[in-house]
Amino acid sequence: MAEVSFYALAALAVLFAMGVVLARSPMMSVLNLLGTFFCLATIYLLAGFQFIAAAQILVYGGAIMVLFLFVIMLLNLAELGVKAESGSGLFKGTGAKLGAAVAVATALALLITATADSLGRTAVRQRPEGIDDLEGIAAELFGRYGLPFEAISVLLLATMVAVVMLAKRQRRAGDSPAPTPSAPAKEQGR
Amino acid sequence: MNPLLRDILVWLVKAGVVYGGLLGVAAGMTLAERKVSAWMQYRHGPNRVGPWGLLQPIADGVKFIFKESLTPDGANRWLFRFAPAIAAVPAMMTVAVIPFGPAVPLPDSWGVPAAFTNLSVTDLDIGLMYLLAIGGLSIYGVILGGWASNSKFSLLGGLRASAQMISYELTLILTILAVVALSGSLSLRGVVEAQPDFWEWNVFHQPLAFVLFSIAAFAETNRHPFDFAECEPELVSGFHTEYSSMRFALFALGEYCAMVVMASLWTTLFLGGYKVPFWENAPWFVCVAAFCAKTSLFLFLYLWVRWTLPRFRFDQLMHLGWKVFLPLALVNLFLTGAAVSYGVDLW
Repeated sequence: MAEVSFYALAALAVLFAMGVVLARSPMMSVLNLLGTFFCLATIYLLAGFQFIAAAQILVYGGAIMVLFLFVIMLLNLAELGVKAESGSGLFKGTGAKLGAAVAVATALALLITATADSLGRTAVRQRPEGIDDLEGIAAELFGRYGLPFEAISVLLLATMVAVVMLAKRQRRAGDSPAPTPSAPAKEQGR
Repeated sequence: MNPLLRDILVWLVKAGVVYGGLLGVAAGMTLAERKVSAWMQYRHGPNRVGPWGLLQPIADGVKFIFKESLTPDGANRWLFRFAPAIAAVPAMMTVAVIPFGPAVPLPDSWGVPAAFTNLSVTDLDIGLMYLLAIGGLSIYGVILGGWASNSKFSLLGGLRASAQMISYELTLILTILAVVALSGSLSLRGVVEAQPDFWEWNVFHQPLAFVLFSIAAFAETNRHPFDFAECEPELVSGFHTEYSSMRFALFALGEYCAMVVMASLWTTLFLGGYKVPFWENAPWFVCVAAFCAKTSLFLFLYLWVRWTLPRFRFDQLMHLGWKVFLPLALVNLFLTGAAVSYGVDLW
C-alpha cells in the first residue's frame, strides 16, 4: 500500500514539476510548484516524518508560494509570459525549451536513481530511530549541526541584504541620471 | 460488537458532532453578526424568519442556492471556480485537531471492555503545526479568487490579502511558539494539560503574547479592523466582487469557519481550553460547556470589534505588523526561551 502510494505520488510530483516549466502563465507555474511541494510533503508523511511534512507545507506552501504569487500579481507577469512564449528570437525560445528539457531530465534522473536505490527493499525507507520526535530533531539541529544551521541563516540574511542593495542602486541609477549629494543621505535615513 | 467497530463508531460520532457543530456555529455567526450589529446600533436586526429571526441563515442559504452563478468575461474559469473551495476547505480541516473536552469514559457494554476516548477528532503530536500549515492555505482561495476574476478591485484585494497574511503569520507563529516553549508540547491537548489551574492559564503567564496573538488573529482571519482584502469603501468588495451565488457563500462560509477555529485556538492556547476554573476533575460535559463558553467569548469579541472600531489604513497595518508586533513577539519569545531554559519561574 505504502509502496503504491509512493510511486503514485512520485509520478504526480514529476508531472507537477513538468507543469512548472511547461505552463504558459507564471501563475500556473507557481500552482504546479505548489502541487509538487504537496506531493513531497505527502511522501514525507508516508515515511513517517510528520514534523518535516508539516514544516514543508507551512514554510513552502503557506509562506514562500504566497510570496511568489504576490510578486507575480504585483508585476502582472501574465503579459510577460505570453511575450516570452511568442518571442521572435529563435535562440531565446530554443534556450528556454532546452533549459526545460534539461530540468525535466535531471528530475527524472534523480527520481530514477532514488527509486532504483530503494527497489528490492521497501520503497519508503523507515526512519532512523529518534529522529521523528521534536526533541531529536532539535538536538540534531542545534547540537551537532548547530554551526552549519546558523551559518545558513547568516548566508540567507547576507543574500537578502545584497539583493536589497543591488535593487536600490539600480533604481537610484534609473531614477536620476546625476544623483545629487543629498539623495543618498535621504535614502539612508529612511 | 468487537472493539474495532466500536472505535469506528465513536470516531464517526465525534467527526459528525465536530463538523456539524462547526457548520452550525458558522451559520449562527452570520445571524449573530447582524443581530449584534443591530443591537449596537439600536436597531432590531433580522426578525421576520422564524422566532427572533433564528431561521434567517437557512433563508439566506436557500436564496444563495437559487441565485445565478456568474463568471465574468476574461476570467480564468478553472481557478475562478476552484478558489471558493480552497477558501472554505482548510478551515474545516483544521478543526479536527481542536480538543474540546477531556477523555470521556465509554461504558462497558455489548461485551466490549470499558475504555476512554479523547474529545477531539484526532490528537496529533504536531497538532499546532498541522493547524498552522493547513490553516495558512486558505489564503490561496482569496489570492486566486482575486486574480482569476479579471477585475482590478479583486486583484488589489487578493494582493493585499497575501501581503497581510505573510506579515501577520510571522507574529502569530512567534506568539504561539512562546506558548509552546512554556507548555513543552506541540500538541493542542498537551498545551491544555499544561494549564490545569485558573492561575496557570497562559493568558496570565504570557500577557504580551496574548495581546499580540489577539491582534494577529484578526488580521489572519481577514476580519475588521484589518479586512483590507474586502474593504468596501475602496475596493467594492475586494476579492469576491465578481462572485455570486453559492461560490460567494463558500467564501463567507470559509471566513466564518476560520473565525470559529481561530476562536477555539485562542481558547486552547491562552484560556486553558476545556478546563473549568476552580473546579478540577469537572465532569466532561461541564468541560465541553466551558470550552464552548470561552470560544463564544472570542467569537463575540470578533463582532464587538467589527462594529466598534474604524478600519485602519493598509500602510498602517504593514507598519504595525513589521515594525511593532514582530519585534515585540521576538523579544517575548527570547525572554520566554531564556526563562524556560534557565528554569526561572516568572510567576
